[in-house]
Amino acid sequence: MEYFLGVDIGSISTKGVIIDSNLNIIANSYLWTKGNPVDSIKRLLNDLKKQVSDDIKIVGVGTTGSARKLIGAMLKASVVKNEITAHAVGTSTLYPDVRTILEIGGQDSKIILLKDGIVTDYNMNTLCAAGTGSFLSSQAKRLDVLVEDFGKIALTSKNPAKIAARCTVFAESDLVHKAQMGYKKEDIIAGLCYSVCNNYLSNVAKGKKIEEPIIFQGGVSKNIGVQKAFKDIIGKDIIVDKFGHLMGAYGVSILALKSKERREFTFSVTDDDFETKGITCNKCGNNCEIVLVKQNNKLIDAWGNRCENGQVKI
Amino acid sequence: MDKITIGIPRALLYYKYKDLWINFFEKLGCNVIVSPCSTKETLENGKKYLNDEACLSIKIYMGHVDYLKDKCDYVLVPRYVSLVKHEKLCTNFSCLYDLVRNKIDVPIINYNIDIDKKEDEFYAFTGMGLALGFKYAKVVKAYKDAKKDEKISSDKRLLKQKSILGSSKNIKILVAGHPYNMYDNLIGKPIIEFLKKNNIEVIYADIYDKKYLKSEVERITKRNYWTFNKELIGSISHHKKRMDGIILLTVFPCGPDSLSNEMIIRNVLDVPIIQLVIDELDSEAGIITRLESFIDILNERRQVHE
Repeated sequence: MEYFLGVDIGSISTKGVIIDSNLNIIANSYLWTKGNPVDSIKRLLNDLKKQVSDDIKIVGVGTTGSARKLIGAMLKASVVKNEITAHAVGTSTLYPDVRTILEIGGQDSKIILLKDGIVTDYNMNTLCAAGTGSFLSSQAKRLDVLVEDFGKIALTSKNPAKIAARCTVFAESDLVHKAQMGYKKEDIIAGLCYSVCNNYLSNVAKGKKIEEPIIFQGGVSKNIGVQKAFKDIIGKDIIVDKFGHLMGAYGVSILALKSKERREFTFSVTDDDFETKGITCNKCGNNCEIVLVKQNNKLIDAWGNRCENGQVKI
Repeated sequence: MDKITIGIPRALLYYKYKDLWINFFEKLGCNVIVSPCSTKETLENGKKYLNDEACLSIKIYMGHVDYLKDKCDYVLVPRYVSLVKHEKLCTNFSCLYDLVRNKIDVPIINYNIDIDKKEDEFYAFTGMGLALGFKYAKVVKAYKDAKKDEKISSDKRLLKQKSILGSSKNIKILVAGHPYNMYDNLIGKPIIEFLKKNNIEVIYADIYDKKYLKSEVERITKRNYWTFNKELIGSISHHKKRMDGIILLTVFPCGPDSLSNEMIIRNVLDVPIIQLVIDELDSEAGIITRLESFIDILNERRQVHE
């Protein structure tokens, strides 16, 4: 049997799965990126390796997420895909009739609309990270609660406070104001959950038609307070899969399977020494930042140049 | 007498009027120099003159003027208030002249277009020719000839795009943005190049027959008084049936676009549409992710239709 590895490496967390050729997940891992994608990928591979027998043959690797290019170069991936396509493929494999995917991650949020397993439309948040996971964790810190407890506390509220959702800075001053007025902590927390949903619906969903079945994914989907807020505001049922956080990695592993390329992958890559370096090209007025990736001191990939002047020979 | 040298910044309205401008001055017997394509350096130089509230396009513009400041006798800095009765342009076009005059020490040749005050293009160009010391008859002739040249090259572009629309089987994306953003080296060019590399036929929103502008616009909105945005809306309405997707391209922070694009996104529901907002961020990753997934979607839709 052939096996495939899919890695989704985001700003906050790194996710990985190994699938067999029948699309079953035989190993999975989820850990924090901690600002060091190269190191976190090594930890991820070690974790995955423990879950599978030594003799399985991995013949294709796919990467997605914001560090997909870097990790793709490291793992010699056959597929390097954006996270929207990866999530859509993964989710629609498990839920073939899904119509809407709501996704809120650490720093970005997106909506994907599908019909008959095909993406028909999508949208992603723009310049601002209001209403994403990092917004919730910074507010949790301010309120001195663990972000993991957020949902539980929110559910105890009977009267959620109204909190502006347009902008993190305003939301924060609103939150302070509500606290000083004497609102209970659970009401403020529940209010924040509603504000995340309202923000999402007005800034990301932008009036797009949200049809059932609806699947809610990304780190924030684990927050039961936000789950409830979405159900209340949209007025429809929301599905949260226990593997929701792995959908990107799962999707890209399927894409690796579907691609014609076969290239054997070994876990020994974790022993290699990887080094990345950013240099500035001064050959024209653009001053592009070029990233060099070295494996055991040998240059394996480079990108970032806008013109031929900055082309790096490999 | 030595030839007068006119410097034209390769930014903002240059992309709309370049044929008229260059031909007019050349026919008068002036030297014309156009600043080179924008680079990061242009942007950095432009930023020095402005506060942080100016939009990316204005920052780039100032960088181009900065390049020209000691290379010519005059820099052409027009002032556009309104092109159509009861309509407006972004205030940046009306303040451009004052902005440059107050910030950069450079002689300016300027003209003013303000239809509400009956100052039209003919009036503006003859005024400019006379100010440079040319005879009235020569100026009028230069303007009329330049107008003809402008018409010829815009017809050419229209014809070229029409033939692409008629013949190409590739995925077609309408890039809808102001010409000065679409064609700028820093803003639109990387995006357009990325699309072309992925076998996309790029259709430019500024190229279309504006004969039906009014009725086309009204199919999307009845009320909009920004002339340039109206032209974009008209183009989207005109093209959308033949497009696989639409990219709204804008810069941060653009006032008219932020209103108009929001309205377009909520009203044009039959064609996939995304908005790309370009700012000074160095990283292109976010833009590439959006473009890649957009192309994936359009490809999948095509396959289903076939």
